[in-house]
Amino acid sequence: MTTKDTILNNLRRNVREKYDKPDLSFAKLEYSDPVAAFIQTATTAAGAKVLEMQEGDDINELIRKSYPDAKTIASNVPGIKADRNPDEVCKPQDLDGTDVSVVEGTVGCAENACIWVPQTMKQRAVCFICEYLVIILDRRNIVNNMHEAYSRIEMPEMGFGAFISGPSKTADIEQALVYGAQSFCGVTIILR
Amino acid sequence: MKVGLFIPCYVDALYPEVGVSTYRLLRSLGVDVDYPEKQTCCGQPMGNAGFQGKSEKLVESFDELFRGYDYVVAPSASCTSYVRFFHPEIVGHECEAAGKTVDLVEFLHDILKVKSLPARFPHKVSLHNSCHGVRELGLSSPTERNIPQFNKIKDLLQLVDGITVLEPERPDECCGFGGMFSVEETGVSTKMGTDKLHRHMATGAEYITGPDSSCLMHMQGIAAKQKFPIKFIHVAQILAGGL
Amino acid sequence: MSTQHSKKANIFVKDTAVVDRHDATFWAVRSKRDKMAHEVPEWEDLRDAASMIKKHTVTHLADYLEKFAANAEKNGVHVHWAKDADEYNAIVLGILGEHGVKKVVKSKSMLTEECCLNDSLAAHGIDVVETDLGERILQLLGVPPSHIVMPAIHITREQVLECFRGHGIIEKEGRKAAESMHGDLNTLIAEADPTFLTRCARYHLRDNFMTADCGMTGANFGIAETGEVVVCTNEGNADMSTSIPPLHIVSMGIEKLIPDYKSMAVFQRLLARNGTGQPTTVYTSHFRRPRPGSEMHIILVDNGRSDILGNEDHWQTLKCMRCGACMNTCPVYRRSGGYSYSYFIPGPIGINLGMLRDSDRHYGNCSACSLCCSCDNVCPVKVDLSSQIYKWRQQLDSMHHADPMKKTMSEGMKIMFDHPDLYTSALKVAPVANHLPDWLTGMAMKPWCYGHTMPVFAKKSFHQLWKSDLKNKN
Repeated sequence: MTTKDTILNNLRRNVREKYDKPDLSFAKLEYSDPVAAFIQTATTAAGAKVLEMQEGDDINELIRKSYPDAKTIASNVPGIKADRNPDEVCKPQDLDGTDVSVVEGTVGCAENACIWVPQTMKQRAVCFICEYLVIILDRRNIVNNMHEAYSRIEMPEMGFGAFISGPSKTADIEQALVYGAQSFCGVTIILR
Repeated sequence: MKVGLFIPCYVDALYPEVGVSTYRLLRSLGVDVDYPEKQTCCGQPMGNAGFQGKSEKLVESFDELFRGYDYVVAPSASCTSYVRFFHPEIVGHECEAAGKTVDLVEFLHDILKVKSLPARFPHKVSLHNSCHGVRELGLSSPTERNIPQFNKIKDLLQLVDGITVLEPERPDECCGFGGMFSVEETGVSTKMGTDKLHRHMATGAEYITGPDSSCLMHMQGIAAKQKFPIKFIHVAQILAGGL
Repeated sequence: MSTQHSKKANIFVKDTAVVDRHDATFWAVRSKRDKMAHEVPEWEDLRDAASMIKKHTVTHLADYLEKFAANAEKNGVHVHWAKDADEYNAIVLGILGEHGVKKVVKSKSMLTEECCLNDSLAAHGIDVVETDLGERILQLLGVPPSHIVMPAIHITREQVLECFRGHGIIEKEGRKAAESMHGDLNTLIAEADPTFLTRCARYHLRDNFMTADCGMTGANFGIAETGEVVVCTNEGNADMSTSIPPLHIVSMGIEKLIPDYKSMAVFQRLLARNGTGQPTTVYTSHFRRPRPGSEMHIILVDNGRSDILGNEDHWQTLKCMRCGACMNTCPVYRRSGGYSYSYFIPGPIGINLGMLRDSDRHYGNCSACSLCCSCDNVCPVKVDLSSQIYKWRQQLDSMHHADPMKKTMSEGMKIMFDHPDLYTSALKVAPVANHLPDWLTGMAMKPWCYGHTMPVFAKKSFHQLWKSDLKNKN
């Protein structure tokens, strides 16, 4: 008998009483203005910056203004001026040293400032390896809570996606909160 | 309404005045109170030590002794909780008396629905929300949970004239008694008790009060050893003041 | 009357400053958790739902595992099954061997800790680099975690500085770290600045991410419907570990499975709020397929879990999602520290899991509970933690691990409480004890007298007062 069969048989033999899947229709947290709630959570708990794009704003200019010292920008988002393209680098290591990466999120969640960032590039390292991350999100795609978010997200062909809420953090040294652990040190969300 | 009074063993031996207050209070509220003399203990000390099997006979006797009453009332949240929730499990069948056993606070608040008392206690007290009172009997809303806030002990104490009811920071953190825990984990138990006493004293109260003499006994023992200037009084004694 | 836990705890508790800091740290986390719980109106509904989803999943686990494995394989992921730690370690070594792996970057996984993977890899000459900052600090110090979520919380910043200095990290990365903060290197070193130390670790680990041949992660959740795993971190180390090396190995306990995205939403909302008091972890990463040109393996590990399912009293420990909230709230854990427990998972869930793992080794933790039941109230999946500890205590005698003193006391109590006449006679003579010399009572009641004065027996017990004063007024 294979290990798989041993485990499955043991599990089947040891079940005492079977339980049904619960009803999840209870009322869930909603906001009168989910976009405002999203911005509030993103800029406080999550520690991100939020820029609301206005009519006539140039997105490349917004990015440049946010990170004037950035020498290397990486992105494959159409229309974004970038020095590196995660679809074209030979290996993920080539993206090291990226100052700013620009990616697109498809769903934002008001209760915790999570943004679903699907892997729409060959090297997803671009999303994590940078010093700063810019996420572009359509404000119409902001939902109230994670139940709504999970009903909306789609897994891309590449088979990876992440909810990201603000910059990489740690409090492992004496509980002191530090931004910029192993991944990006800051996040700017551009709401369009 | 006929009530059987259950005075747990350590209240019997160490704090009989708590039993007397409970008796007087219930009588003054027109309750027919009886005290079955063959009672001893709820069995918790053995269960706590890992020998609940040794309390089987005691549990059966308890049920025999108390089953005829409308309610069994005890001035001890922890013992009440043990009777109500553990007795049936220990003997493997339903226990009539266990289902009717209530703590004094529950009895006054939920069953008699007492709205006024003649008591006067012109002092500041710090309320000790004991663990089994909070988390097993539901005498107050546990701070861990997101449910409407309430505190039945506080509701009752506030009927007393002149009293100021305070609550310590971390209002329902354990004092570290835990029965056998206090003699098996001496270091942690004493530290928990000391911390709890500091928080109670920080309210500026003259007394620590609560529905469990066991917690009070533990804290009193530590306070005496460290010579802390704080007094202890059971809730029943305050509520029965002047009777 | 002492136990393995109480002996260590009695030493830990002596240093008041250390204990108070430890207690305050975790109470702060508990308070943040409470705040989160009170900000979500449907909090208790979520806990009920999470508990029910886990009960449902673990009682249909064989079906869900088959579904999960089939879907994962369809996604191009290699699925392996391990019945115990040895088989698991062998599978990992096999995969690493096939790929000629010399260096592994690893994100935090309690399962690998449970199976002693790092030792196994080190014994085979493979360089394992923990990438969670806390875990990395402990790895460099050569000590085990003292908490499952905040593993290095007991280490001071000065200790971290010394450790990094000892490993050449300050020398190599310090200048760059100071520059990134626009700060003065010597001042930052003198202050053992946490941001500076974190930056040093960032650059130190960055080198390792760049040069590793394999990334290993645990799994917070496995989703049966899609065959994907979900990993939650704050540091982004799981994402760094898996987006650069050409090989990703996921180690997953079989109880981590949940049915679908609908269930995932419930757990995502509970995990970080309950564990660290944040509305979410920074990263909730879903891994469904291998990266282009790389391989992904999932190892499903039993290691005793399928047996636990058959344990009437303790099967619900399988619902645990390792958020750590029961430790944070436990008044005993906060005042005794993680190292007082013999199992690598401390606190209420650790007492139970340790007993399930090896009761002969870990029965000494059963004393570390005052039965305050706070853990039951914070647990996001409603594991009946304190009841289970109570039940273990009842079983210690049949395991031959009962304390003889407690047994004698319980037998004595049985005799006295079963015989009301004997009990009332004892009540009458009890006050005599008040007049015994302190040295005598102190000897008989030694453990009690460690922290307490002796209680004073009343001159007349309630029994006596009833007979003399109250009864006749009835």
